[in-house]
Amino acid sequence: MVFILGVNFPERNLVKKSLESFFGIGNNASSRLLARFHIHSTCKVGDLANKQVLDITAALSEMKIENDLRRQYLDDIKRLKETGTYRGRRHALGLPVRGQRTRTQIKTAVRLNRMERRL
Amino acid sequence: MVSSFCWSCMTRLRPTPRAVLPPPVAAPRAASFHTSTVRYALPAKKKASLDGPPKFREAKSARMKKKKPVEKSRPPSVGERKALRKRIVLSNPNALEVEGMQDLSSENMVDARLRGSVLGLPVPMLTQLRAVEAFKPKQGWSIFRRPGTVVRRETLELGRFIDGISNEGKDKGRSAKKIVTGVRGSGKTVHLLQAMAMAFTKQWVVFTVPEPQDLVIAHTSYAPLSDDTPHLYVQNDATAAMLSRTVTANEQVLKNLHISQQHPALKSSAKAGMTLEELAKLGIQDPAIAWPVFQALWSELTATSPAPGFDKGFKPRPPMLVTVDGLSHWMKNSEYRSADFDPIHAHDLMFVRHFLSLLKPGSEKPALPNGGLLLYATSASNNPTIYSFEVALKQIAARQAGLNASAPEFPQADPYSKADKRVIDAFDSAKPTIAKEGILELQTLGGLTRDEARGFMEYFARSGLLREKINDAWVGEKWSLAGGGVIGELEKLGRRLRVVN
Amino acid sequence: MAWQSPNCIVHAMQSVRRTVQLRSFLHTPISPVSLRTNITPILSQQQRNARGYATEVQTAPEINFDTFSVQPARIIPASPAYFSGSPKFIDHLLNLESVLAKWASLPTVSPGEAPRMAWFKLMQFREFVGEPVPTKKYKNLIKILQRLNRIDPKLMPFEVRDTLKIFLRPGNPYGNKPVPATVDEMGRARGRGKRKTSSAVVHLVEGEGEVMVNGKTIVEVFPRLHDRESVTWPLKCTSRLDKYNVWATVRGGGVTGQAEAITLALARALLVHEPGLQPVMRRAGVITVDARRVERKKPGHVKARKMPTWVKR
Repeated sequence: MVFILGVNFPERNLVKKSLESFFGIGNNASSRLLARFHIHSTCKVGDLANKQVLDITAALSEMKIENDLRRQYLDDIKRLKETGTYRGRRHALGLPVRGQRTRTQIKTAVRLNRMERRL
Repeated sequence: MVSSFCWSCMTRLRPTPRAVLPPPVAAPRAASFHTSTVRYALPAKKKASLDGPPKFREAKSARMKKKKPVEKSRPPSVGERKALRKRIVLSNPNALEVEGMQDLSSENMVDARLRGSVLGLPVPMLTQLRAVEAFKPKQGWSIFRRPGTVVRRETLELGRFIDGISNEGKDKGRSAKKIVTGVRGSGKTVHLLQAMAMAFTKQWVVFTVPEPQDLVIAHTSYAPLSDDTPHLYVQNDATAAMLSRTVTANEQVLKNLHISQQHPALKSSAKAGMTLEELAKLGIQDPAIAWPVFQALWSELTATSPAPGFDKGFKPRPPMLVTVDGLSHWMKNSEYRSADFDPIHAHDLMFVRHFLSLLKPGSEKPALPNGGLLLYATSASNNPTIYSFEVALKQIAARQAGLNASAPEFPQADPYSKADKRVIDAFDSAKPTIAKEGILELQTLGGLTRDEARGFMEYFARSGLLREKINDAWVGEKWSLAGGGVIGELEKLGRRLRVVN
Repeated sequence: MAWQSPNCIVHAMQSVRRTVQLRSFLHTPISPVSLRTNITPILSQQQRNARGYATEVQTAPEINFDTFSVQPARIIPASPAYFSGSPKFIDHLLNLESVLAKWASLPTVSPGEAPRMAWFKLMQFREFVGEPVPTKKYKNLIKILQRLNRIDPKLMPFEVRDTLKIFLRPGNPYGNKPVPATVDEMGRARGRGKRKTSSAVVHLVEGEGEVMVNGKTIVEVFPRLHDRESVTWPLKCTSRLDKYNVWATVRGGGVTGQAEAITLALARALLVHEPGLQPVMRRAGVITVDARRVERKKPGHVKARKMPTWVKR
């Protein structure tokens, strides 16, 4: 088990997949992170050197991920609503924000869009 | 007559003998030659059981059948499936022992009388060959009693060359560089295997890269070489694996050789009086220093004379065989990324760079000063198409034919094709200045001759795999069907035609 | 429309001729008055003699047989089949039947040995006789022609020969035979073959059994062994596999079609080198053309023949 940013990962997991389990890190960010510390893409968590683990942890702690990012999301939505924009209204109504049709296929928006958006 | 079933699926064997050709006149029927429609016809469909009427004394209900709970067995453990995939079986106890089959030895590897016969690989050597991964899983070793290779023209040339370098004479210390190409199944990998086997009999040191693709697909660790050269990368794990292969295979040779040079990069770990085996094992134990260890080992093996202070017990170094199987993977960007997320060219990996630099003629001393052979094979089955590599191979062939690089017929890359300059430069070697060093050559493996093919098929028959009367007409037919004696196709024919006629 | 048929023209001409005769006949006794009614010359004579209403009965004048007109009241057609609709055809048929009946006892030869004759095709024959001839009846006529043609050529009477000549197509369709293919100055024989949508050209030279397809070895082009065996089958069945080199060019279609197109082309090229191999290759089935092609899809069908499922309710 290896701790990366306070989370415990089993050794057999891929480093790339483990990084992508953080909110705010996707394929692109994790690939760039790996390249920065010269870790090949099929590396397992158990194969990481101690220094690399520390490097990754340090880099992650500088990035805006997890709860910070979530809070920023919600703040942005709140700002839109408070300034009275159309987008803010759509968020509050639970309707698609970006001009999609609303006749059909708005399940995702109904499920997610609200003032306290689910993330 | 073309059979009505596919030879590869042996499900519809006919017990009766086929009519001898030409077909009997008594039955003047218009034979239906085109059999594919019959073969490809869809099988009669069974009716879905739900649609039909209820059978006698059977109720029919619309209720769906319950799904049976699927028995979940434990997933295979880590590495188990890969081990199964990579497993190499070299012996088949059901096959017949071929009487009178000779083993490869230093005497008969130059014997032209053996051309077309199959030489067995000596049993003690098999561990060495396995160590350097000379056998590939898809080759048909597992159908014979013991592994053996057919002696063809190129094999004899190779044998003569290796013999000449090893023995005292004018050829001693010569080196040659060859790139082996050929169509699929033409025996390139087995050619490398034969070279390795001969090198082992002559007590050479053998370095191999059995899977060049593994070095560039980002499956092993990599790190910058040093802070001074941030654009060069070493692959420590892969280097350690190669050291391990080399030590296992060449243990006897390396044990008798001792350190004769200074190795400042290794600091105190390389002590005077160490054998080269111990030196190599340093790198296996600690992959972090595998690359400096490899460089130290290489400089030891290419030393022609001891450094001052190391004179005690210096032995001349043996010739070396270096093989790479599947060169074209090294001719493009690797899957690795630099710190800035730019793709790393394969030539920026130190491992690859080292082996490609051997193709260039040395300035002061040859790339292999103690003599030896570079055999780099391309692959036809697992092969990325790289335009600049194709051009480079054409240029090698042209240079070998004596064409000057400034001549108008000399093949050049299309200026609009964005050819990779680094690839073309890697093979762009001037004529070597040192007499003992050979020019870079292109060797194209074709098919066997009819006599060699006959010897090969007889080996199948004597192993009990083939129950045919082997005569010239039969061999000629198979020779044509195999595209002019391509040995891989001949092997497929030999193992398929197990019909009793 | 009816005027287009020459038969009708004949009808029309005859009717015109009849009226002309009739008119001249009417004009000869003069008296334009008599033109008012359609009367016979006897009646007009009567009119000339009688004044007003004639009460006394006169006998008819004696018929002068010297001047009696031989012109019949209606024209009798030359052929008894005139009213059958296709008189010329029936005349031909009857003529042929009578000739056949006359010479039926002569010895005949087998149909293969009889000289090949190019009879009129149905359309040409219809034009020739100028009548609408039914297909089936023409087939019967051809049957009689062929039966007559089978009479031993040495004993064939001139009458039969002349009769048969009537029914021959102009020109000599079987005269211009294609030039038999030969091996060219470089020793190559060329053959072409088709199968499915593939077409192949094979150049065959004497050699030692190498086969190249589109400039590549046979192994590269046909990975499946069955296809390779198909390609070399003409050489194999004649055991010539190690005596010729094959250079094939094949375009279109799939792998099987290409392989079997080469088979046919190779067999034909081999025939150029060695025509004596024909019976063997015929029995092996390699010079038999497989003319089947994929049937086209039709509108309203799912495939060529398959119909969409149809349920009543």
